[in-house]
Amino acid sequence: MKRLRSLHALTAAFLVAFITATGLTGLAVYRATHGTIVALVDRRIASVSGELAAMGTHSGTTELIRQIGALTRERDTGDLGLLLTTANSRFLAGNIRLRRPLPEGFSTVDRALGVKGLSTGRALVRPIGDGLILTVVAETEPFDDYNAARARIYLFGFGSIILVVVAGVATFGFVIGRRIVAMRRTVEAIVDGDMQRRVPVDGSGSAFDQQARAFNAMLDRIAGLMAEISNVSNDIAHDLRTPLARLRGRLQALARRAERGDAPPAEIIAEIEGAIADSDSLLAMFAAILRIAEIEGGARRAGFERVDLGAIAHHVATTMQPAAADAGRSLVDGDPVHLPVAGDRRLLAQALINLVENAIRHTPEGSRIRIVAARAGDQALVSVEDDGPGIPAAERARALRRFGRLDGSRASSGHGLGLPLVESIARLHRGTLALGDAGPGLRAVIALPIAP
Amino acid sequence: MGLNLLLVEDDAALVAMLERDLREMGHHVSVATDGRAAIEAVTRDRFDAMILDLMLPTVDGLSVLQRIRQDGMGLPVIILSALGRPVEKVEGLDAGADDYVVKPVTAAELNARLNAILRGRRQPAQDGDTLRAGDIVVSPARFRAWRDGKAVDLSKIEFNLLLELVRNVDSIVTRAMLLEKVWGYDFEPATNLVDVHIRRLRAKLTANGGDDPISTVRGVGYLLPG
Repeated sequence: MKRLRSLHALTAAFLVAFITATGLTGLAVYRATHGTIVALVDRRIASVSGELAAMGTHSGTTELIRQIGALTRERDTGDLGLLLTTANSRFLAGNIRLRRPLPEGFSTVDRALGVKGLSTGRALVRPIGDGLILTVVAETEPFDDYNAARARIYLFGFGSIILVVVAGVATFGFVIGRRIVAMRRTVEAIVDGDMQRRVPVDGSGSAFDQQARAFNAMLDRIAGLMAEISNVSNDIAHDLRTPLARLRGRLQALARRAERGDAPPAEIIAEIEGAIADSDSLLAMFAAILRIAEIEGGARRAGFERVDLGAIAHHVATTMQPAAADAGRSLVDGDPVHLPVAGDRRLLAQALINLVENAIRHTPEGSRIRIVAARAGDQALVSVEDDGPGIPAAERARALRRFGRLDGSRASSGHGLGLPLVESIARLHRGTLALGDAGPGLRAVIALPIAP
Repeated sequence: MGLNLLLVEDDAALVAMLERDLREMGHHVSVATDGRAAIEAVTRDRFDAMILDLMLPTVDGLSVLQRIRQDGMGLPVIILSALGRPVEKVEGLDAGADDYVVKPVTAAELNARLNAILRGRRQPAQDGDTLRAGDIVVSPARFRAWRDGKAVDLSKIEFNLLLELVRNVDSIVTRAMLLEKVWGYDFEPATNLVDVHIRRLRAKLTANGGDDPISTVRGVGYLLPG
């Protein structure tokens, strides 16, 4: 059975079964029609023979001979071979002569009988009393070589069915095989590292075509994810190198100064604290990466409860106000609004704190930052806007990309994960983060669905 | 106050550092480097507290904790976690941990948290009463604070900061502890919120004269002497 699993073996097995069945059917039909004809002919000659025998018994031999003569001349019985002989084969009447004697009862006869015009037929021989023997012969072929012709017809008919099926199966197998081979080649190429390969699509919209399209769409998605991973790994590597290199340089210099022993302890301590701050910023970056991974895992959703986004916005404003003031920016809070949403209080606070920190970091001193909570239909909105330089519309998408710090701001602080983290928090809450123009300045809006 | 501590951690470098620093603080430290050894040690000897890493060879930290709590041992346990996932934290606290710290961790942080736990166990919460630290009195029930008999007008955040310091009078309270207790955050914002608000609190406490009552412990946190 194991061999039948291959496509070729299955096809061959099917074809053998089909040809056998068709051949047997053809043979059976041929035999059945032949049998039917023989039975019909037998019935006819038996009927004629019976009538004549009865007449011979009742009306006498002379009348019987006259009747035989009449039958051979009539149109509907003229094709019958009739012969009346005595027991020792002396001819009395009829339209045929036999080359050899026939056995009593039904028999199959052919040309060897020597009856003119008869190729194959049936004969009935019966004694009808008074030492007389009546023979009736009829053709089973309406014309010459009828059976050969019939065999030919069956052969062509059933043969063409077999041919059509064999050709169909072969084509079918070829088409499926070609598709499978094409797909396998693509998979092999991808396994070998060629991510650009795709399964050929012919645009016919067939099931195969749809299959190929679905397969290609999956490959596109995988390629996209791989590109993203590769980008992120590149970015992480790049963004880690800078602070790590700085940290290393600092520690090296520190070791040299400690060796010389001429630096005042206060300076050494300040250097060490700088190194600690460097490692803290590295740790903060890892914390953000892990946090995003945690949020995108979606497990935090299990802890969602009904929270008031308006109250969280107000709380973040009060928490961040002194920090903004220390940094020379003013942070103002809009009117309190009740915004019930299903969410995680700490994550939402983290998102808003990130937006405020972002605003403080990217505006000049003296700037004004506003946190405004509002309701728009079934959406809870919290916007953080500043009157700083803003982000040009063309660059906003990049600002949301991980490590997507805009050119020129790479030197400034921050690990480039702030806005992506906010966006992933918004997404976890089935909401969005949109960056817009506050005219002037940046407006970042978190929109979450209002909890019913 | 020297404590008899069991440190369960398989990272040799971290063990060496924590062991040295905790001893310097006057504690006695025993080390177990896998879960089975930890269970054996805690069954054999009496400890004042256990510091327990979650990812351990042989038996993981959470199972160690469940095991010793099932055996009726109530010693204070602080969990150390490398990843700091909230699920871990919930599991750890459910299993009977007293506190949960995310690596990297310093001996000073552990010491501060141990003090807070032991203090909490010695004296049950007395939020109904007023609390005192030197010339500072706070009333959690009335949300009011006084210094030297004069009322000090504090914001909610400042009040909660002061309350946390008063509760842990004479002990260091770390920034991470304050972020957890006062703000309820499980993350550390880039902005140093604790320092910013402590500065405001100090200004209000010294507005009517008097020395700054809050000591800064460099790199660790704050301390309010009694």
